[in-house]
Amino acid sequence: MSTAPQGTHSLAFRVMRLCKPSFHVDPPFRIDPADLFVGEDIFDDPLAAANLPPILSTQLSKSMDSSDLTYGNRFLLQHPSDAMGFSGLLLLPQSFGAIYLGETFCSYISINNNSNFEVRDIIIKAEIQTERQRILLLDTTKSPVESIRAGGRYDFIVEHDVKELGAHTLVCTALYNDSDGERKYLPQFFKFVVANPLSVRTKEITYLEACIENHTKTNLYMDQVEFEPAPHWSATVLKADELHPAYNSSTGEVFKPPILIRSGGGIQNYLYQLKLASPDSAQMKVEGTNILGKLQITWRTNLGELGRLQTQQILGTPISHKEVELQILEIPSLINLDKSFSVHLNLTNHTDRELGPFEVRLSQDSVHGEKNVMINGLQTMVLPQVGAFASSDFHLNLIATKLGVQKISGITVSDTREKTFDLLPDVEIFVESD
Amino acid sequence: MEEPSPTPDPPTNQLGSLNDLAHELASLEDLATRGSWRSILDKVSRARSLNLLTSPHDHLIYLSYNVLAFSKLRRFSEASNEIDTLDDFNSSYYKYETYPRLYPNRSGSMIPFSLRFIHAQLPIKLGNRQEGLDRCYLLLKFIREKIKEKESHDLHDSVRIWKRRENSVLNCLIGHHLGDKEFSLSLDLIKDLINRDYLDPVLVSKLGYIQMQIGDIEGAKGSFNSVETMLNERKSDEYFLSEVQFRNLVNRNKALVYLVGKDYVSAVREYEECIERDHTDVVALNNKALCLMYLRDLSDSIKVLEKALERIPTIALNETLVINLCSMYELAYVNHSEIKRTLSNWIVHVAPDDFDASCTRV
Repeated sequence: MSTAPQGTHSLAFRVMRLCKPSFHVDPPFRIDPADLFVGEDIFDDPLAAANLPPILSTQLSKSMDSSDLTYGNRFLLQHPSDAMGFSGLLLLPQSFGAIYLGETFCSYISINNNSNFEVRDIIIKAEIQTERQRILLLDTTKSPVESIRAGGRYDFIVEHDVKELGAHTLVCTALYNDSDGERKYLPQFFKFVVANPLSVRTKEITYLEACIENHTKTNLYMDQVEFEPAPHWSATVLKADELHPAYNSSTGEVFKPPILIRSGGGIQNYLYQLKLASPDSAQMKVEGTNILGKLQITWRTNLGELGRLQTQQILGTPISHKEVELQILEIPSLINLDKSFSVHLNLTNHTDRELGPFEVRLSQDSVHGEKNVMINGLQTMVLPQVGAFASSDFHLNLIATKLGVQKISGITVSDTREKTFDLLPDVEIFVESD
Repeated sequence: MEEPSPTPDPPTNQLGSLNDLAHELASLEDLATRGSWRSILDKVSRARSLNLLTSPHDHLIYLSYNVLAFSKLRRFSEASNEIDTLDDFNSSYYKYETYPRLYPNRSGSMIPFSLRFIHAQLPIKLGNRQEGLDRCYLLLKFIREKIKEKESHDLHDSVRIWKRRENSVLNCLIGHHLGDKEFSLSLDLIKDLINRDYLDPVLVSKLGYIQMQIGDIEGAKGSFNSVETMLNERKSDEYFLSEVQFRNLVNRNKALVYLVGKDYVSAVREYEECIERDHTDVVALNNKALCLMYLRDLSDSIKVLEKALERIPTIALNETLVINLCSMYELAYVNHSEIKRTLSNWIVHVAPDDFDASCTRV
């Protein structure tokens, strides 16, 4: 990972990423003496059951006696959970690993003097270089390190919150006087790439469903996922009732099952109900731009290693500039083939001025092909004007020409100059025979 | 050469020592605790070729030591082949009642349980994880049936032993699932164990470690608080732990919470309290060294580990500690091969046969 000029430098940088350590786990072959010295059913015999335990426990304590310099601890089970191989021993990170946007990059940097002479007046700098910027992490210019003896070291730890994607370079430089009094310059470069940990997709009606997908190589523990609504909205998170919370009767605690998103493509969905904060803001609804808010996501990985991201503003489907809206109020429950049926509709004028007269018709839409539900009678119905913020009910006679599940689609309202105001969304009906 | 007398039927008479249980068992056991697994292979081989093993149970116990030795030496195929020389474990060949003259008034299986335990895990070591897990779960089922059977006959001592075996197998399964990062499953299994009355401060602490590994820090704190409560309310040595061990456990748990919060100074303080109380607390020593490193004190972190190896080699010498020390050497020295080689040479002289020397990365 490091590139350094081969030359006669007395100093060299050694770098190690210092993310959190991990717990070592490895189930060992450790045995209880009662499982090795005797047959497994021997304790059925009362004589054996009486005579054996003293021998076995003497043996166990003898083997585990630390003053006796034996490796009994690698062979015998002292405590039942020794079989898990998970003692709490921590292991240093063994490789650089992957690093993701929103995490903190932390690194141990050691500058070694591997020559036989002292070096003096060392100015050390550490910077992160990305496509867009150069961030200074450490600079000893104001107070240079006086000296590093032969075989000595100067250590420091740097931290940087990763806010950009793509290639990053940790640039370590040292400016120093070597033993000949020559001023030398040592640059060393350590490259790494920052990837995107999550993708967030949203779907919305008056509900916001956010789907978070994990692109990293580790499982992510969702510490907090919060929706911050825009000023005129309020949001409540909707959760399913928790299934079977595990209740520990002995300690009286309820374990909350953690939300863990599986690595490499696991998904967790969150549902929020959004309400307009006040009735006045209904006006805003008609205006068009519909910023709902943004999601704040905090996650944790190994030993609580923290990552944080915020989405961009999430927009609602633009509540349409619907000036005129068409709705179905009622459809008969029984619809027979080739028999006319009446559908009760409503037309609402959402504007502040009188509109109309209107024409309601079935649009000839080639995409949907042949229509199986058609207007019975005059193909265009004319409706008179409707006042500002007023509505008008009417009936349309339809007829179905095919059995089974069919769609009423393509009912359009327009004005007499062919400007279409609204298209009624498709409605399914079930057509039965006589 | 004198015909060796058959080992007397174990333990119907007053027992003096292990040798009454099987031929020269004390010697085998001694070799095992020293980690001299190659010597065990030799001893078993010799006993077999000289026909020193006469009773069925001798053969089985020696075979178990052989299988265990192969496994410890990471020679898993040979361990597996050795087990394959046997019939099915439940065969009548391995039942006491099949040899009434040798084992009067005794019935049941003479298979040492460790054979089943190792047999279940071998496929995992041989790369066939699913087969291994299946065997472990089947073993669990087998154990539970045994427990029911013994309970119905009021064989309380046997029930106790078989329940301990159930406990070990469950713990082993949790370890395997953890190793594969199947955290939800591990959590379910460990909670199951805790709820079944295997409530135990060490176990609840491990629950805390799993929660920490996932990132559920609040959950971990809750578990550690339970452990501390158990310490304060403790009645007697009901938990396999001595007073010192219990206190150290609580301190180590506290240290982890500090560590996760990046308060390494407080973590070191907790670990020092542990070491003061028990200078053989390797987990405290190892973890303290790591904290020192996160405090930018690489030199002292190296010293802590080196001193541990020097003072308590048979306790401190484990692969994880050595890997940590080597990582520190690689960071501290540009020319680290020399110092690692010194360590490696020392290990060769001191380590047991089953020590995995590849951990020095020399």
